[in-house]
Amino acid sequence: MSEESSGALANNAPPASPRTTVIEASQLSRSFGETKAAQDVSFEVRRGEILGFLGPNGAGKSTTLRMITGLIAADRGSAKICGIDVATHPIEAKKKFGYLPESIPLYEEMEVIDYLRFIGSARGIAKAVLEKSIDRISKRLGLLPMLRRRCGTLSKGFRQRVGLAQALIHNPEVVILDEPTNGLDPRQIIEVRSLIRELATDCAVIFSTHILQEIAAICTRIIVIHSGHLIADGTPDELAGDSSEDWQVVTSGSGVDPEQCPGLQLAPGVEGSTGETVHRWLGESAPDLGDLSIQIYRSGSRLLHVGRSRESLEQVYLRLTGGERVQA
Amino acid sequence: MKDILIVARRECGAYFQTPIAWIFIALQIAILSFFFFLYSPFFIIESADMRVWFGLMPFTLMVFAPAVTMRLWSEELRTGSTEVLLSLPVKVVNLVIGKWLASVVVLLASVICSLGIPATISYLAASPIDWGPIIGGYIGTVLAGMMFLALGCWVSALSRNQVVSLLVGVTAGIVLVLALSPDFASFISGTNETLARIVESLGVQSHFRSIERGVLAISDVVYFLSGSCFFLALTVFQVELKKQ
Repeated sequence: MSEESSGALANNAPPASPRTTVIEASQLSRSFGETKAAQDVSFEVRRGEILGFLGPNGAGKSTTLRMITGLIAADRGSAKICGIDVATHPIEAKKKFGYLPESIPLYEEMEVIDYLRFIGSARGIAKAVLEKSIDRISKRLGLLPMLRRRCGTLSKGFRQRVGLAQALIHNPEVVILDEPTNGLDPRQIIEVRSLIRELATDCAVIFSTHILQEIAAICTRIIVIHSGHLIADGTPDELAGDSSEDWQVVTSGSGVDPEQCPGLQLAPGVEGSTGETVHRWLGESAPDLGDLSIQIYRSGSRLLHVGRSRESLEQVYLRLTGGERVQA
Repeated sequence: MKDILIVARRECGAYFQTPIAWIFIALQIAILSFFFFLYSPFFIIESADMRVWFGLMPFTLMVFAPAVTMRLWSEELRTGSTEVLLSLPVKVVNLVIGKWLASVVVLLASVICSLGIPATISYLAASPIDWGPIIGGYIGTVLAGMMFLALGCWVSALSRNQVVSLLVGVTAGIVLVLALSPDFASFISGTNETLARIVESLGVQSHFRSIERGVLAISDVVYFLSGSCFFLALTVFQVELKKQ
């Protein structure tokens, strides 16, 4: 299968403009037995976007990504990549994306260069172009010294880079990465983030993670998946913006009894670095500082801060997912 | 076709760049030679032929074919590399044929390595040997081997555990070689003639024996080729089923 022999759909597809929609997921649903892994998940991704798929482990992130890549069939709904339906034209759709699975599976006995040659050939890259592609992607990912090493002898960081190289070797229009920084050291994480930012200038990047720092650092848009449902979709500012008028009261120790201060609600699961409990005042008016200070005094706590504050991404996430903790 | 060759080349690399293929080939030839030269009447009857060698072939194939193929899909399923493989723009049927073809290359390498045996017999024989049965035996070996390897491919796609794949593959081979044997068919022919005929026609031995004698009947060739296609189709179905 050569580049020249790409199917009619791919050849006839109009060239994508900078903000073209490249992924269209429509009501994707999938169950495994009684477990509903994804339910009516719909979203679009445009070229140039870095979309973060956020959710706790087992929320349905990987299932949704695997439906988009055609690795598992959707019970209901459809996924299109660059306008090509993954279910009806899988081969044409697969030419459009590069995919890095969570577990970075490589063929242990193969040398890195042979592995990339295999992937490139199977992706239909002509032999003359393939060597240049391998050289380009190896330079970009710092893989040049490792090309003659067997995949089985590589460190976790280099395995991740080889995984990324196979996903990018054909210059895909869509890059789908499942937990791409899992297990990397801080320096490698920074490098991968920088690479993802670079990639987004040419294509759309969609990646899943349960690490909030990741999302905050690089995403232009966030989708939060919880119990198989898409529960939020927007930019980090949009998601935090819903509560920008909130008042926040920070106390040490056990804090005030919310029942004694109507309107004051405990922000679920949020804990400061020194053990203080964070209370958030919901409403447009400021809390009655007189009553509040009496309550705080009686409870033996100490007032640390009173003010209007935007929610942090962690607080947004906890609010959306009902207090489920994530790695921050 | 190009996709098939790309996949086959990768799998051949996995077989021949590691000791796997060489161990299988050496073991198969060593075991066959052991029984052929030491436990058969080869030196007693003073006959320069390889009937015993090829007579043992279905029994060795039923063990060695699943041993060769057990890693083809089981290992991919265990490590998760099927995720990358199935995200490539290659049809599942081409992946399956490519992998199977690589295992056939191992079989052919084994056949080529064993050619020294008939060459030696021919050199030492007092009178010219009859090459017909030997060539027929080798054709039968390749045809039967292709079917056993296709069976092994399918079994390998059933489980992510290579040991399970090997055991199920050997068991299925025993059914094809021993349970559906001419001896068993003649045993039940007294009670049910139709069933006996079905058993004989489904078993490997009855088809292999006629080719081994140098008689290349179309029905026997069709049996092995259709058997290979049947098991390869089952493999494609099994891999596609993983998406469901």
